[in-house]
Amino acid sequence: MNLRAIGCNVESAAVELREKLAFDAAKTQKALAELNARFAAEAVVLGTCNRVEIYVSRAETVAPLHVPLMAEFLAEIHGLSASTIAPHLYEHADAAAAKHLFRVAAGLDSVVVGESQISGQVKEAYESALKLTATGPLLNTLFPAALRVSKRVRSETGIAQGHVSVASAAVDYVRQVFSTLTDKTVLVIGAGEMGRLALNHLTERHPAAVLVTNRSPERAAASAAECGGRAVPWEHLDDALVQADIVLSTTGAPEPIVTRRRFDDKVRRRRAGRTLLVFDMAVPRDFDPAIHDGDAVSVFNVDDLARVADERMAERRRHLPAAEQIVDAEVTKFVKEWNTRQDGPVIGQLNAEAEKIRDEILAALMTKMNGRLSAKERSEIEYAFRLFQSKLLHGPIAALKESSREGHSGGLREAIMKLFGLKG
Amino acid sequence: MSLIQGIHHYCIGLSYLCALLLELARLFWPGKGWRVAGLVFGAAGLFAHTAYLLFNQPSPAVPYGSLLLLAWVLALFYIYGTIHHAKQTWAVFVLPVVLGLIVASRVLFKTGPDSAAFDAAGWLTGDRFWASVHGVLILLTSVGVSVSFLASVMYLIQARRLRKKLAPVSALPMLSLERLETMNRRALNVAFPMLTVGLLVGTLLLPHGPSLGDNWLSVKVLSTAALWVVFLVLLYLRYGAHVPARRLALFSIAAFALLLVALVTAHPFAVGGAK
Repeated sequence: MNLRAIGCNVESAAVELREKLAFDAAKTQKALAELNARFAAEAVVLGTCNRVEIYVSRAETVAPLHVPLMAEFLAEIHGLSASTIAPHLYEHADAAAAKHLFRVAAGLDSVVVGESQISGQVKEAYESALKLTATGPLLNTLFPAALRVSKRVRSETGIAQGHVSVASAAVDYVRQVFSTLTDKTVLVIGAGEMGRLALNHLTERHPAAVLVTNRSPERAAASAAECGGRAVPWEHLDDALVQADIVLSTTGAPEPIVTRRRFDDKVRRRRAGRTLLVFDMAVPRDFDPAIHDGDAVSVFNVDDLARVADERMAERRRHLPAAEQIVDAEVTKFVKEWNTRQDGPVIGQLNAEAEKIRDEILAALMTKMNGRLSAKERSEIEYAFRLFQSKLLHGPIAALKESSREGHSGGLREAIMKLFGLKG
Repeated sequence: MSLIQGIHHYCIGLSYLCALLLELARLFWPGKGWRVAGLVFGAAGLFAHTAYLLFNQPSPAVPYGSLLLLAWVLALFYIYGTIHHAKQTWAVFVLPVVLGLIVASRVLFKTGPDSAAFDAAGWLTGDRFWASVHGVLILLTSVGVSVSFLASVMYLIQARRLRKKLAPVSALPMLSLERLETMNRRALNVAFPMLTVGLLVGTLLLPHGPSLGDNWLSVKVLSTAALWVVFLVLLYLRYGAHVPARRLALFSIAAFALLLVALVTAHPFAVGGAK
């Protein structure tokens, strides 16, 4: 295998450089075509907001592509200087490159461990290279394997469990309480960013109605128009709270806008025991925490949600060793299978060649000994020749297989082909 | 036939126990394999359970028979739930109840008033027809109460997480509170009319039992009547007083306890009725 993964990520390069190295469709097409034409390399370009990587594979008989050459290549594509790029590039070779891709696809190399978006981006990068016929036998085996590994890691470990952002932690609470939102009303109080993010998540689940209220009627109307909701006058907040099933509150009020007394007197009884989830994302808080009873009304503030997000992240990290184990096992399997695939024809050719020579020598011997050998003697001689052949070839074949298992059979394969005069 | 004869409470219980252990393993080491293996054991248990019921035809009028029949229906519920709600820890809640019922059935196998076999033809004809209607309705009520119990237990755990503001969908994924509440409500709504009619039929049949005075005062009759009263209270609390779902779940658990008392005690008609 002559595989290299060369690139930079959030740890090795600042965002300014990563931005400059970003590939759009035209640059990707150009880079892939150039890599094919100039270096006879099969290639895939993987570009996300956190990384820019090029996976290249060449024939085993030629030198691999290293960082200096790739830095020059990237500099040429992006119109930069190679010396500014090279120090920030990393290089993974052969099995380590395969492992790197498997880890990337499984989200183990991501800032948010276990994030699911990356496997889609890997798939997209591969498919776009495939469409441009920039891939070859190795990358056509490697990338589908990486996507399989990603799926395995996600299904067999808890690495992708739960959401890890504050806004999505709120959505998880919603899912814990409500099975559907199609008959629920979401009330948005204020116009904070966090509330908007949470609302974006919630609207994906198609709530029956979205009510928006704000001290400023104009802002309420604007926010309602933006999210397809209905503006409610600030004076009708209590009525809206009675109507709502989920509340997202993000005002900038210095004091709580809904005290326990106000809620108990004007809202609680009118709700007839219906469940209400309040996500108070404002600092200072908009809702008196004493309203929370964990039964009919549950109030979560921004600290509660941040704690959940942190716990989730810690929980994901707990699954890292198991995920890494799967990746390691899959890399070993991939390398072994790839090498076996490469060794198979060589071993076959070696055996065929030896059989051909053995048959020729045997035929000459039998002609010479014509009539002087019994059938039993003939079969014993044939057996001795077969045994000789198998013992002679056992060493090289075993060494080749051993080398394959260790992940570096390329050199030995070449040597055997030269030594025994085999054609590639 | 000899293979089916060889099926014992132990075979059924062990299969379900293996399924439960595999499901528990899935909580600690997530993976599809555990669920599939658990389902295989669960299905094997259900097969053995079904074969046992078909071959031995235990009477639902005796504790061991009624417990085993109820366990069978809940085992079906477990298989359905495990397939239908693949991501939820369904089996972890249903299988302990199934296992408990099987163990109780085994304990009561010899100590019950009799171990009469269910004579299907006899129960469906003549004067025993109404007794069989009563039996079927009470069995279906038991299923409803058991489903309501399971939904209530899951509800209380889920609600506790919410009250304590624990991270949702962590180690023990469960259905939403709304879904569990709906399950509880539907189970009780369906079970109540059946219990009412079943009790009515049973009341009409009581004077024809072996000893009228003892019949009315038997633990089974009293606990079933108490169960009906609990049902009535539950319905009032839900639809009349709009009591929060958490308290209703506690009542549902109490109803299940009463059901267990009713199931494990001797049926007035079964006393001395051994075949």
